Amino acid sequence: MSTATLLRIALLIALIIVFASWNPAFVSGRNIYALMQSFALLGLVALGLSLTMIAGEFDLSVGSMVAVGGLLTLVTGESNLAYGMCVAFAFAVAIGAANAFVVSRFNVSSLVVTVGSMMALSGFAFWLAGGKVISTDNFDPGFALDNPILTIFSWRSLITLAAFLLAGLFTRHTLMGRDIRVIGSKRLVAAASGAKVGLSLFIVFIISALCAAMAGSLLSMSLASAAATTGSNLMLQAVSAAIVGGVALSGGSGSPLHVLIGSLILTVMNNGLSLMGMGATGILFANGLVLMGIVLLDGQLGAWMSERFAASRARHSA
Amino acid sequence: MAAVEMKSVGAALLSPERIQSTAVWMGTVLLAAWAGVTVPGFASSANISAIMYSTSAVGIAAVGMAFITLSGNLFMLSMGATAAVSTIVFASCLHLGLLPSIAVVVLVGALFGLAQGMAVGVFKTNPIITTIAMASIITGAGSFYSGGLTVVGQGDASWLAIGRMAGIPNQIVLFLLAALVFSFIVERTRFGRELRLIGLNPKAAHFTGLRVGRALVIAYVLAAAAAAFAGALYGSQAAQGNLKLGAGLDFDAIAAVLVGGVAIKGGQGRILDAAIGAVFLAIITNILLLKGLSLEIQLIVKGLVVIASVILGALALGARK
Repeated sequence: MSTATLLRIALLIALIIVFASWNPAFVSGRNIYALMQSFALLGLVALGLSLTMIAGEFDLSVGSMVAVGGLLTLVTGESNLAYGMCVAFAFAVAIGAANAFVVSRFNVSSLVVTVGSMMALSGFAFWLAGGKVISTDNFDPGFALDNPILTIFSWRSLITLAAFLLAGLFTRHTLMGRDIRVIGSKRLVAAASGAKVGLSLFIVFIISALCAAMAGSLLSMSLASAAATTGSNLMLQAVSAAIVGGVALSGGSGSPLHVLIGSLILTVMNNGLSLMGMGATGILFANGLVLMGIVLLDGQLGAWMSERFAASRARHSA
Repeated sequence: MAAVEMKSVGAALLSPERIQSTAVWMGTVLLAAWAGVTVPGFASSANISAIMYSTSAVGIAAVGMAFITLSGNLFMLSMGATAAVSTIVFASCLHLGLLPSIAVVVLVGALFGLAQGMAVGVFKTNPIITTIAMASIITGAGSFYSGGLTVVGQGDASWLAIGRMAGIPNQIVLFLLAALVFSFIVERTRFGRELRLIGLNPKAAHFTGLRVGRALVIAYVLAAAAAAFAGALYGSQAAQGNLKLGAGLDFDAIAAVLVGGVAIKGGQGRILDAAIGAVFLAIITNILLLKGLSLEIQLIVKGLVVIASVILGALALGARK
């Protein structure tokens, strides 16, 4: 593991220690369970989004896809939630493929394409919801998904952890995973050396949409309800989680392990702040500050600081 | 002589760079004419004034957004948040009088823009993520300030809300004024030329000694001030301020910029294209409304129109190669 990764793990542990000494309830089994439940939602979205970032693209539509995934599951799965879930997943695959098609066929920036799909999906979500909160009487899948396992886990958080494991194996041990990283750093070189650029883009955008839809779908079953505004702040948190974990905005670097650490850091921070009595907008504000801090470090300021750091180290060793 | 001039004007309008915006200009006129004849109620004076009111705030934000797009930094995703917080600032300053409250709103907006412009222009941060982060900071700050409540304005904002000059709503006059002034800035000033050159080729702009950081800071300040002013328009109409008013402004402004034909790669397109894009979308939205389609369907259509215009723009550029 690199120093940067170890530093992030240290940050995570430090945060946990600070919050735990502030309020011992932070490390109670019940709170860790609640923390893992929010991780189950955020982590899945961040994982999908981060794959597009590693490939040097960006999927702005994940937030509205969470809402659509949740709504489709309940609306089409009135009699059978498993069927609704399949519809949501199939829809996500189609949208991911459509995003990738426009990006790769017309060579348009994915930010622009996914701004369009974000709007269209958000409209679709409001249309599905018809101005109200959709709910279901079928509570059983929710109970099954949220039933505590080993006190702190649930099927929902275990599914997210499994997704991280699968994605980790996929990016590390398959040719396609290597292609995704390479096209993120040097697209033209990658294409010239035989990386399957088009196919990689299809895969990352499909996984991104699918992860978001899955997060929404599982959440809607667990809450037995879904609304068009669900997930409106998730995109902000997901991109924060990815870059806190060390996925570069410029593409080519980062791994599911990094995103896992980043998502945990962000979930711990948000959970700790809310335990300290901070409201939802306060947490939004804090997330914004964190994200602003990281983009500054990601840009010129960070380059300048690491230059200074290297210079001072060179002086000391001389 | 005149014939030659006409021909070159025609060639310029149909050049690959201009073909989309020309199409939208013509599309707007044709759409309005078609709707005037076939859609009942479209040509009524009440409806036309409704279109004008729905165009003005979005249009002002769109011409501001065009600065960011022209500079090659895609979009400013904090415009909705800026406008929303501006409605609160506007309402809580209204007891000072209309002009002072507009001034405060624009100043606060400009400060938001300054922060983002510094980050993007000087510290070279990613423009999209910076403005997303700023959006939540602005929203959070606004909700601290208002306590999450609606602020009711104590004062007279009717000049801005419903006032008219020679039958034309003051809001639309202000929109036209903003479009013309911003257009003049881009077409005729050194800053405008620098901005477009930066959008065309940021590296070359840097090496030829253009004041890149300075130009970007100005662009963000102007764009955020425009968004804040749009917020003042919303605030005056509702005579109150809360975080929901104007929150969707980002998408409408982006849609207007893209549909109008400002190139997302930066450097190409005109401020007036964004203005026409806003008018075009306002007319489409209005027709959908008159046809009885819900707001949700309108949002879907807007998203699809954006994607379609992006593809069209890419195809037009591809045809040039």
